[in-house]
Amino acid sequence: DSHIQYERVGADVTMKCGSMDWDAAVTWTANGTDIDESHLNGSYLILKKVDLTQSGQYSCYEGSSWHLKYQTYLRVGTPPREPLLMCRSNNYPKGFYCSWHLPTPTYIPNSFNISVIHGTREMVCEKDVFPKNRCHIRYLQLFSTVKYKVTLTVTNALGKNSTTLTFDEFTIVKPDPPENVVAKPVPNNPRRLEVSWQNPSSWPDPESFPLKFFLRYRPLILDQWQHVELSDGTSHTITDAYAGKEYIIQVAAKDNDIGTWSDWSVAVHATPWTEEPKHLTTEAQVAETTSTSTSSFMPPPTTKICDKGAVVGSGAVAVCWTAGLVLAAYGVLFI
Amino acid sequence: MAAADSPSTALGRCDLCNRGIRLAGKMRLDVTNLLDTYVERQGLDASASVAAVEGVPVAAVERWDEQTGTQRLLENLAAYRAFRVLLAQMLEEQREQLGEADTALSRALAAVLLQVSAFAYHLEELLRLENRGPPSEEGAEPPPLPQLSLFERKLRGLGVLRELAQWALRSARDLRQLAKASPGSDSAPSPPDSP
Repeated sequence: DSHIQYERVGADVTMKCGSMDWDAAVTWTANGTDIDESHLNGSYLILKKVDLTQSGQYSCYEGSSWHLKYQTYLRVGTPPREPLLMCRSNNYPKGFYCSWHLPTPTYIPNSFNISVIHGTREMVCEKDVFPKNRCHIRYLQLFSTVKYKVTLTVTNALGKNSTTLTFDEFTIVKPDPPENVVAKPVPNNPRRLEVSWQNPSSWPDPESFPLKFFLRYRPLILDQWQHVELSDGTSHTITDAYAGKEYIIQVAAKDNDIGTWSDWSVAVHATPWTEEPKHLTTEAQVAETTSTSTSSFMPPPTTKICDKGAVVGSGAVAVCWTAGLVLAAYGVLFI
Repeated sequence: MAAADSPSTALGRCDLCNRGIRLAGKMRLDVTNLLDTYVERQGLDASASVAAVEGVPVAAVERWDEQTGTQRLLENLAAYRAFRVLLAQMLEEQREQLGEADTALSRALAAVLLQVSAFAYHLEELLRLENRGPPSEEGAEPPPLPQLSLFERKLRGLGVLRELAQWALRSARDLRQLAKASPGSDSAPSPPDSP
């Protein structure tokens, strides 16, 4: 007769060998290993102040026949602490989602129940398949002054706990970060960088619910950020970049009217345009060129027969087509 | 077939919508500031729950995205006309309570009342542009002031201002929807040509 037994960490556990008398001769095993008799009180198994390592399968066998008389799976764990719950709307005005987790593990299975109440109305929070600790609610009303009340209860075999969040429709609005942030140098402008981005794809209707943006940038060599707030558009030109310095740039988004700023976007790097070094024209440069030519081999033009690009075939049987034509022409003359 | 809007009408609507959006945005900021002042001066708790107040237009709406432009304008206009009366009553109560003292709260209330009146007028203009004259206000008597204790009046005022703040938010959204809609989309579908 096998079943599961849940016990708190630190508890004293007494296991009876099924219907066997106290004075019956029995052997207990834990995960197949015999348990020392010092843990027995008659036929009862006594485990003092159990810890997590003592979770496992406990079996009791009749002394002489080794018949299995009792079996249980001991799961040592803790009752749940107050869960952490957060709710957010990243797709306003469609709805919002709530997600939760426990601050510390319980080591035993937990079940979660969430209730969402708006005024007198109980709303359905549809659980996501993945991740499992999240559910989403569709807004049935917009522009309501009535608060939402979300209560999450977590229950396991050793106890239960709950937490409640109360909030207004507009306070939990927080878009996802902007996407596809691109930063490019501006040709012939050593102090400019052109930055562009897109609305987060999760924001359903940016035309009716426009976003505003916050851009921050700094050269890698400095810690201080520069900030620009932009009330419309999805691009901006930085005009005060330090010439030649690599920059790191990020963008955040917020609904124009309500809620809070998104997290920062993925950072992008860019360096403003710099002028290519010009060819030197001083005497020193001429002298340098001469010394360079004498130090590396350059076949004289008069001995050059074939252009390297005209050579085909392997190195061993390379045929120079130009020379070949000349030879062929001579050959024709002598036939 | 319904006549299509002329380009100048469409431009006029767009311009009015954009100005309305800016007006609503400014109004919302001022109402939010007024709310803070009101809570402080009236000694209220900012997080106090206020039950639905009778006679105060509720901004909450279901299926908001399915509303036509005309519906949006009519509902907005009805709301701001009601707020015009409610704010005037609040101002009157303030003055009765404090005498003729021109307090910061009274001044802020008066300023918002002016914006509400201006916005109502703006909505009437938009309705005229939609070829729908605004509904008449003639004969509409302001509701009698309920007999409330001082504390109840303060809570009522809180409810009025909170709802007004939501309306200002909704109005900006409504006008953006209006600006987004193509010209003539709010007209009733024309009957099919008879054989």
